[in-house]
Amino acid sequence: MTTPLPSIPSIPTDGALAGLKVLDLMWVVAGPTATRTMADFGATVVRIESANRIETARGIGPFHHNAQGPDHSGLFSNMNVNKLGLSLNLGVEAGRDVLLDLIGWCDVLAESFSPRAMRAWGMDYESLRQAHPDLIMLSTCLFGQEGPLSRVAGFGTMGAAIGGYIALAGNPGEAPVGPYSAYTDYLSPRFSLPTILAALDHRDRTGEGLYIDQAQAESSLHFMSTALLDYTINGRVPQLVGNSDPDMAPHGCFRASGDDDWVAIAIRNDEDWANLCVAMGQAELTCDDRFADLAARKSHETELSEMVAAWTAQHHAVQIEYMLQAFGIPAHAVSNSSVAPDDPQLRHRQHFITMEHPVHGVTTIEAAKGQMSETPPSYRSSAPSIGRDNELVLRDILGYDDERIAQLAIADALT
Amino acid sequence: MLLSPYRVLDMTNERGMLAGQILADLGADVICIEPPSGSSARAIGPFAGDQVSPDTSLFWWAYARNKRGITCDLDHPDGQSLVRQLAQTADFVIESDDPGAMSARGLGYANLAADHDQLIYTSISAFGQHGPKARYQSTDLILMAAGGPLILTGGQGDPPVRVSVPQAWSHASGEAASAALIALRARRAIGRGQHVDISAQQAVAAATMSAILAHSIGANETPRVAGGMAVGPFTGKLIWPASDGYISLTFLFGSGIGPFSRRLFEWIHEEGECDLADRDLDWIGLGAEFISGARPLSEWDRLMEVVGAFLSKRSRETLFREAQARSLLIVPVTTVDEVANSEQFEAREFWREHDMPHWPDPVRFPGPFVKLSHNEIEYRYPAPTLGQHNAEVYGELGLSENDLSDLRARHVI
Repeated sequence: MTTPLPSIPSIPTDGALAGLKVLDLMWVVAGPTATRTMADFGATVVRIESANRIETARGIGPFHHNAQGPDHSGLFSNMNVNKLGLSLNLGVEAGRDVLLDLIGWCDVLAESFSPRAMRAWGMDYESLRQAHPDLIMLSTCLFGQEGPLSRVAGFGTMGAAIGGYIALAGNPGEAPVGPYSAYTDYLSPRFSLPTILAALDHRDRTGEGLYIDQAQAESSLHFMSTALLDYTINGRVPQLVGNSDPDMAPHGCFRASGDDDWVAIAIRNDEDWANLCVAMGQAELTCDDRFADLAARKSHETELSEMVAAWTAQHHAVQIEYMLQAFGIPAHAVSNSSVAPDDPQLRHRQHFITMEHPVHGVTTIEAAKGQMSETPPSYRSSAPSIGRDNELVLRDILGYDDERIAQLAIADALT
Repeated sequence: MLLSPYRVLDMTNERGMLAGQILADLGADVICIEPPSGSSARAIGPFAGDQVSPDTSLFWWAYARNKRGITCDLDHPDGQSLVRQLAQTADFVIESDDPGAMSARGLGYANLAADHDQLIYTSISAFGQHGPKARYQSTDLILMAAGGPLILTGGQGDPPVRVSVPQAWSHASGEAASAALIALRARRAIGRGQHVDISAQQAVAAATMSAILAHSIGANETPRVAGGMAVGPFTGKLIWPASDGYISLTFLFGSGIGPFSRRLFEWIHEEGECDLADRDLDWIGLGAEFISGARPLSEWDRLMEVVGAFLSKRSRETLFREAQARSLLIVPVTTVDEVANSEQFEAREFWREHDMPHWPDPVRFPGPFVKLSHNEIEYRYPAPTLGQHNAEVYGELGLSENDLSDLRARHVI
């Protein structure tokens, strides 16, 4: 066990994005994922929260030691590493004044309110750009800033439903099961973050700001373009097919000998098949006409899967993975949170990072996903408790004095 | 456009094409390099009209947009030399070959950066460039298993089940586009490019919604709950049967979702399908009441039943219409055809049409992934045919028509 990294909130001075100033008015996952990456690579990210309306992610598990409470969510602590937390009551004018000062400070303003909210405060892009022509502003919500559904408030779970993802996962003849949770929340930052970074580069060259209107449901369709084209061109609508694949058989998750222990196996071609037969100790199957080629294996897939499952049930998934990969067969234990920290590859990549945490003593977070040879990420502070960094933000970033801060407290602006 | 000044050499196969496309959509000059026999991505179905050919792969159509296409045999010394010359003119290289394969050709990061230290070289691979699993064989299913999302999807006790449209490499590619642009900003600060190493296994871990951390932070393993999610001791159900299909309802208590649940129960009460006491529950503080034991957990199951019975009597359209009128967290579970015909996407003029070579009708594609106040994403040109821009791109390198004929004759391009 390595020593946990210290957690010391600070304004970073090095890293790929050092000097970049980001104001984060987003919540849950879709937005905070993008700002987390910026923070990891050295941007100063100030995140606004209010104790009056607890951020939803704080109520979503996994929870440290299974205990509930605003600082117990592992999701929240993973999404908000390296960010500075300011508590601000946007319901009062004094709170909104602070927000305006922070907008003056930042390079990038990112918000995920419903489309009405920013307009109502006079903080829509058109209003803000008058004073800040080089502002880069991201508005990200489920359906975008206009259109008949733009007023539908929504979480990524709903994006997964209305964006077509739920109906893409499940077994034939059963209710769809969909991918886990808020699926479009994981896809949206794949598009918002590159756009912000491209906008910054453009601004540095031209001085021009930019408004980015992201409909998470739209961005996410780019992960299923082929299915959309297959429908618009060929008229085909995807059906629930379990784990079956048109080009591979056997192909699926097979029960192994442990508790909820599964191994994924994908047989791409005849060579994989022959190797699998040998690995299972059933070399004679390579001569069996029922399984001679892909077409034959597809038409006997059910009995084939049963034969494979009978074999996998005798071993642990991780053992099967090692055994089959040694034969060059794509196979992997279906990992979970108990197995993953011991995965030799994830260890090699230092995917799991332990860090000091003021409430829990120590927490575990995921590393930044991209590994960069010259400008590695840094992990400086754990996710903020509500208002943890008020002093740092108000004094060091905004330059407020004692009197101004006292006034804000009296005006109930810092809750 | 935002990235107009930059050039990208996109040497990816089907594992990494979305990365270059994100940069291309943002305006970069992306040149994709295929082997003379065509990219392996062109062999990926489905195919337009179910006609299997290199120019009708819908995968290629979807992920080679806005790129110029050239051919080059990377295993031929003259091909390698051409790529080295092209790399001199590029800001970015993206590749998704097996780890070590590009270096073996003399086209790895160290090779290309030796003469061009500004180069940002992004490698996309299944498990990363190094490490005990770097040489593992993989597919979409294998990566979703290795990175953690798969164990979470499916029914309790059932085998985990994947999204049938492959997702893993798109996650990795998206991660690569972001990381490459972070390296671009770093280049201004440190004065040189660098090598970016993306692992699809790590990228897909994002789709666990941090459930991959459960054990490490002392939490129970997140149960696999078909169409739902576990919130502490509560099983939140997300997918519910309506009278004519399925809807997604986010139903929970607490300050974020509680007010929506309150409004749902106002409607249920109006329709006479619950009593006043249910409607007037403390929808914000309810969770605490369950946890403290002040209210038995079985009450939560009963409330779910009330909701389930209510929804199952109403159509998806009714539920969605009322959800908008009443601000409820209900949307229909839509199928791909419904997505394609959605009024919302239509109203935002989302779709884009392109004429495709070898296809009679204009093809409608998913439109720009974001809308921009200016420098809008444009669909400048459709996925290239094999070697479509050879003369143009190699011409820019100063090669003559004779040189090209020679390279063609020797199957280098």
